[in-house]
Amino acid sequence: MTNTLHRRGTPESLKNDYVIFCTLAKGVNSEGSTPKIKEFIRICLKYNPVNMGDGRHGNILQDDVDVQKLLAQKGDGEGAGAVFNDLETLQKVIDDLIKADLGVSINISGLLGDVQSCCRKVGMERHSAEHSLGIWGAKDRLPEREILEVNTLCGHGMVSFNLIRKMVEYVKLGRLTAKEAAKTMAKCCECGVFNPVRAEKLLEKMVKIE
Amino acid sequence: MEIDKEKCVGCGNCHVICTMGAIYLGEDGRSEVNQEECVECSTCYRVLRNEEYMPWFVRGLRKILSFFRLGYLAEVDVCPTGALTPPELQWPRSLRSNFSDPVAIHPGTGLGGRGTEEIKSNDVTGRIGKGEAGVVVEMGRPGIGAYFRDLEKVTIALSGLQPLFEPKNPVTLLIKDQKTGKLKEDILNEKVLSAIIEMKVPLEKIPEILKTLEVVQKEIDTVFSVGISSRCLPDGSLPHEEWVRKAGYILSPNGKTNIGLGRPRFKED
Repeated sequence: MTNTLHRRGTPESLKNDYVIFCTLAKGVNSEGSTPKIKEFIRICLKYNPVNMGDGRHGNILQDDVDVQKLLAQKGDGEGAGAVFNDLETLQKVIDDLIKADLGVSINISGLLGDVQSCCRKVGMERHSAEHSLGIWGAKDRLPEREILEVNTLCGHGMVSFNLIRKMVEYVKLGRLTAKEAAKTMAKCCECGVFNPVRAEKLLEKMVKIE
Repeated sequence: MEIDKEKCVGCGNCHVICTMGAIYLGEDGRSEVNQEECVECSTCYRVLRNEEYMPWFVRGLRKILSFFRLGYLAEVDVCPTGALTPPELQWPRSLRSNFSDPVAIHPGTGLGGRGTEEIKSNDVTGRIGKGEAGVVVEMGRPGIGAYFRDLEKVTIALSGLQPLFEPKNPVTLLIKDQKTGKLKEDILNEKVLSAIIEMKVPLEKIPEILKTLEVVQKEIDTVFSVGISSRCLPDGSLPHEEWVRKAGYILSPNGKTNIGLGRPRFKED
């Protein structure tokens, strides 16, 4: 989930894509952190995230990952992330996290202005923030913009360009619905930061264009 | 990754799932891995469910179906016969997996993933302080991958500006000499899905860093994604924004925010 900040898209499509995650500082506050991580997960689950997971146990859209099992398996220092589609829900999650006073780092990837507004609504100022300065280098090797928008939904880049193309083709042929195709792609993203709902919309758009 | 030719039925599912497009159909009708291009991310092995069919059964079924001019198409997220076989990797090839497989714990950092906590734990650690900027250059991202020989060109170029390469970052651990930015020689021909060069510089050095990246980007055969962070001022504004704009670059509307709920374990100036 390292580089969720490099998600690409228009501000309009980014409006429906927020990733919230808790991070422990190894050797600083990671020891004894299991109950805090579990509480973070419980709070997120209360608001029905469209995806959730971590790099060690996988994401909830994978066939063999059960939410309760994920919760039970969490250990010290193992962060977690959840994806939400709208700002109102994100605000509720933040409110609950403030009340829970876990004392662990909470980060949000998404439109910076919107996240800042969420913080201000509860009388807080953000602590630190990171911008993307985009892609540099041999850009002629990259595929079209729409493929990149889907690929960057996974922070580790595990959804291949070829798979995205294949999914577009399958949706076009009626072999899969856009929703099923988005779920298939989401399985590749171990950490669970891939937004299947945004991917579904992007697939539908690509099918129409082609 | 390796493919057991005895088991492979050449369905091609692993070809599309491969992050580097390194798997192809061999002349014998069974899949092969281009070991030069494979970054050992294990996505194919993890994502494609092993249906555990006997290879002779699938091949036989195909023959019967083809007799009736019908085809056999496996579901897209399965390996019908479990032919994918992750090998035991030796140094320096093991670096490919360390950097590319998100499930692998990096032996250098003890963390999963390719980088460090960066600003994600800044409210607790104070890693990026007042007057400082965190800069990350993720080589190979998105989706192209990077050889360490390309990565070295960037570390050499940046080392001239004497940044503080993040000591806990896995790329920093591979830099042989921080003054020159040179990497260990035996790793230069290894390819990874991506690797993050992470450093801290005074805010006023941002324009020079970006100018250096502007030049070196023309010398490499891959892409990289750049991120810049800083500790917010009391009014919530970001001091790095002004320096980036002054240097003539556009900031993304989206990014990562540490909202500051972590309990500080450091003394702020």
